[in-house]
Amino acid sequence: MIPVVSALAPLVCGLLLAPAGAGKLFGRHTSRLAANTVLVRVLHGSRRATLALRVLGAAELALAAALLAAPTTVVPGAATAALGLGFTGYLAYSKATAPESSCGCGARAEGPIGARSFIRAGLVLAGGLAAATADTTWWSEVSGHPAASLLFLLVTAALLPAVSSDLDHLWLLPVRKARLRLFGNPLPSSAGVRVPVDASVELLEHSLAWQAARPVVRSALLDHWDDEGWRVLRYAGTYPDPHGTRPVSVLFALDLTASIDTAPSPAVRVSLVDEESEQVLPADALALPTAP
Amino acid sequence: MGHNQESGGRRLDRRRFLTAAAIGGATIVGASALGGLDAEAAFAAPMPSLDPAIRAAFAEGRVVAVNRGVLDVAGSHGERHLIQLTNATSVWKLRTTTAEAIESGDGLYARGVTMPDGTIAADAVWVNIVNVHCTIRGIAKDRLHLAHGNHELVGRIVPATTTASYLGGALTSDLSRMRIGQTAQVLGAWRPADNHIDIARLTLGH
Repeated sequence: MIPVVSALAPLVCGLLLAPAGAGKLFGRHTSRLAANTVLVRVLHGSRRATLALRVLGAAELALAAALLAAPTTVVPGAATAALGLGFTGYLAYSKATAPESSCGCGARAEGPIGARSFIRAGLVLAGGLAAATADTTWWSEVSGHPAASLLFLLVTAALLPAVSSDLDHLWLLPVRKARLRLFGNPLPSSAGVRVPVDASVELLEHSLAWQAARPVVRSALLDHWDDEGWRVLRYAGTYPDPHGTRPVSVLFALDLTASIDTAPSPAVRVSLVDEESEQVLPADALALPTAP
Repeated sequence: MGHNQESGGRRLDRRRFLTAAAIGGATIVGASALGGLDAEAAFAAPMPSLDPAIRAAFAEGRVVAVNRGVLDVAGSHGERHLIQLTNATSVWKLRTTTAEAIESGDGLYARGVTMPDGTIAADAVWVNIVNVHCTIRGIAKDRLHLAHGNHELVGRIVPATTTASYLGGALTSDLSRMRIGQTAQVLGAWRPADNHIDIARLTLGH
């Protein structure tokens, strides 16, 4: 290993593990964090999962203390590497069996298990391995080679936000905002877009036609299509006749280009078609408004 | 293949026939504000049934098997539901679709009527539907980065499907008016494969 890396690895690992461990051990949100992890299923209960996370936090704190106080001994470094390996295995298991669960790795942030989680676990493993090979203490390395040490610490500090989502609001959000300001919004704009079907449904549901047909309609939208400037929306319905209740298609036809913004009171055509005989039924089943 | 083309053709013929019937229908002009039966209704308080003698039944869970129009659903609390799809069942999976779009492994909400044998005859099935209030944290060409509390989400923009409503206006495919930092209600379908959300509708500025 490069001397500066292995000598300073205990310092970096210790400084990273300490807040993560303290957050898990003392944090008020640990139980909520645990509830979203795969640990709940593995340990059969969220209380045990919370306890496991707190124990892990205590172990991380103890490791951090050992790394910082006794940097040249092999055990803390090896234990950190083992922790990193354990994290990696745990992430792989979670990802394979419950991809929707949160990893619970950071003290604060929740989120799906992604590349960042694996890189973080890998860095813990690498940092632990480097720390295990340290043969000079970090304080003598810092005082012996201050410039190289400072450079190394700066590079590590710069890497940190890239692998932790806790700091996204400091750099990622401004970067994204600046990109939008420079290149404009990449999403489709209003130029030449057609009226979405949902907008036609919304328009229909605000119309008197819908109110009139509601006693007959028995379903949500079943089918829709566009034909010669019309948008046809098909619903299922029932139609009472002397022999019982007949299943019908309730058809609404409205202007393909209308929405509640452009045509708040649309003309809507309503038809009832018998499902079996395909006969168009008289509209007297609809609660049509009487002329004023 | 032959069978599909044949049924597709029949479907088109039927649509043409129904179009003629629809356009020939009674014309009603006017407006009235009334609620709907669309995807958002999945999250509404149980609506009073149209027929007071019939009580609406709700079911929620993960589809275990699909058998000739019957969905075998394992509920989140260990219960089991058999959900019968009928020709009046509306199926929503990101958009209005047919029963063929339902796969085992999908999550669903279903509303219907309990039959004497215990099955639920569904009038509406909403597959993998999610409805979250979140903050827009990033805008890219095909996706939005969203934050729901401390939770990060990726919402995918689905061409010709994703719509937005600004300040209570009509739903539009114009998505260019949203900004980073804005809060949005996101209605969409969860994608089991990558845990992203396909966005059906964004409601902004309320």
